Amino acid sequence: MSGFGNKDTRGGGRGAAKGKDGDKAGRRGGFFRRRRVCKFCVEKIDYVSYKDVKLLSPFIPERGKIQPRRISGTCAKHQRALQTAIKRARTLALIPYVTD
Amino acid sequence: MSIHRQYELVYIAMPDATEEQLAELHQQVATVVDRFGGTIERTEPWGRRRLAYEINRQREGVYVLNILNGPAAMVAELERRLRVLDICMRHLVVRVDEVLAKENRSQTRRKSATVARRLRRGLPAEPTEQELSRRKAENDDADGGPDGFGEGDR
Repeated sequence: MSGFGNKDTRGGGRGAAKGKDGDKAGRRGGFFRRRRVCKFCVEKIDYVSYKDVKLLSPFIPERGKIQPRRISGTCAKHQRALQTAIKRARTLALIPYVTD
Repeated sequence: MSIHRQYELVYIAMPDATEEQLAELHQQVATVVDRFGGTIERTEPWGRRRLAYEINRQREGVYVLNILNGPAAMVAELERRLRVLDICMRHLVVRVDEVLAKENRSQTRRKSATVARRLRRGLPAEPTEQELSRRKAENDDADGGPDGFGEGDR
């Protein structure tokens, strides 16, 4: 790829950082990769409650599975909390186990 | 005396249960809690809700949340009884004292850190009205909504 060669000629720390940024913005196929941040960290939520379906629902895709961290961008700590919350909500039939 | 802890009990009653049956169920819970020297701190009826999947061929259920204080033996007895009762379709008991204390602690820590930071920068401890209104305007501009999260990211 051309971006790779560019980075070499420019060199230096700053150039490398810029190349990385450019990579993010200009994915092939026109995908824009947003910087993923943990929703719970941003909103400063310390305890993820199983009772709050509205809070949990963005992390449950159509199929009813738990959305992986690599997609939602949730940090490890909050993903763990989210996982138990979703599982508890499932036992109470607030959230489905599977949907098809 | 045994150690008392705080628990959250949610149970789902059959949708065709009458008012009296629900009251009786609540009474039963209260008796057990009483016998073990615990207390019911709060009862929150969520009312009739659609279930996400069928339980006992029912598509709806009557949800009730109780916040209890009591020993672990009380929880064991409560669970045993709720499993036997027919009008209770599903129940869940979660211990909450530790997580709530933790949440409280980190929130106070965060707040005091903010105050300390503000004082170091020579600002008053609490944000002024002017700042609040400006911050609100900024937040209105941001496009990040709950549905803008993690979508189209693959």
